[in-house]
Amino acid sequence: MPFDQLDLKRAIDGDERAMQRLWSQHSPHIDAVVRRLCDDAELAADISQEVWMQIFRALPSYRGDSQFGTWAHRIAVNRTLNALRKIRRIAKLEVDIEDDSAMTEQDSDRTFMAESIEQAMTKLSPGARAVFVLHDIEGYTHGEIGEELGITSGGSKSQLFKARAKLRKLLAHLMDESSTVVKGKGHVAPV
Amino acid sequence: MSHLSEEQLDQIIAEERSREQAPLNEWRTIAARAREEGLIRESESSRWWASSQPWLQSAAAVLLLVGGIAIGRTTIALPSAIEGPAVTSTPPASTASTAAASGSSGSVSGNATFASVDDASAALNRAVDAYQRASVFLAANNASVGSGDSLAMYSARAAALDKIENATVSALQSAPHDPVLNQYYLATMGARVATQQMVARPVVLRGF
Repeated sequence: MPFDQLDLKRAIDGDERAMQRLWSQHSPHIDAVVRRLCDDAELAADISQEVWMQIFRALPSYRGDSQFGTWAHRIAVNRTLNALRKIRRIAKLEVDIEDDSAMTEQDSDRTFMAESIEQAMTKLSPGARAVFVLHDIEGYTHGEIGEELGITSGGSKSQLFKARAKLRKLLAHLMDESSTVVKGKGHVAPV
Repeated sequence: MSHLSEEQLDQIIAEERSREQAPLNEWRTIAARAREEGLIRESESSRWWASSQPWLQSAAAVLLLVGGIAIGRTTIALPSAIEGPAVTSTPPASTASTAAASGSSGSVSGNATFASVDDASAALNRAVDAYQRASVFLAANNASVGSGDSLAMYSARAAALDKIENATVSALQSAPHDPVLNQYYLATMGARVATQQMVARPVVLRGF
């Protein structure tokens, strides 16, 4: 019996050690996608907790049609995007009240040079960021992204084009004289 | 203003994709939430294991230790006396760990007596640690097994570990919360993965 299957059975029965092993095995990937979709570490930690609760709640409904990691990953993406939608609805109201902030952000973008792709992604619009993360990092197709985000496949392609263009600009200084990416500048060490 | 090329951006994305990141939460945070929601069931055996004395947990570790030695001896025909020439000719980086292993085993062998449970527990922990380091050292340096035989040796070990895994999985289906069976299961799985990697890519064995 594969390791996951035995642990799954026991986790469904509420065995903490089995649940912990599932979490240990899958949290690097699950947490990474949550972290990339959010641009705030604290928010990502909160959403990740919700994601894991949802995964444990839904365990009895897992039928094994796909790999457990794939199934859990779908829950993570879905839950994170839902949480972000709720937060942005509130945030949009705040921006409407103080709309000077948007202009300030654009000014700072002109001189901003990202030290890592993680930092550069914070400068993408929420939609472009989600499309970029799901397509280029997580390997979703434009059709799948369209379903997740409620947009058309063409809309997803367009967002991705804009996201990549902006990232290429924000990360341009990472290019050394020989036109190769400066080694070690691709990312910053995890905290 | 210059831009990265598409290929350069792809290179950065590939690095980002494979980047290891720390979890966003600790398990105890997740477990507390799961417990609040009643997703974690407090079983008798898990309560017993959580509240058991450290020496009980150490005793389980000793069982693992003895089992590990037995597995090692039956599958790789470990020479009974490895200390003498091995210590004198070991590479500098390995000398400290070998010495530590010898020292630790000395502290728990023979008629040793212990002043307290803590002393005994500490000795057990040292022995387990020394065993693990010695195993790693032997895997890399054991000259008693020729490089031509290494593939057969690892295959035999993998087959033995498969049998142990099947036995522990069967036992766990009857007693899923048994702590000793769980420890055996995890140790076996870890050893099996390591062995399978060796079968796929045998290491070059160094002589003393």
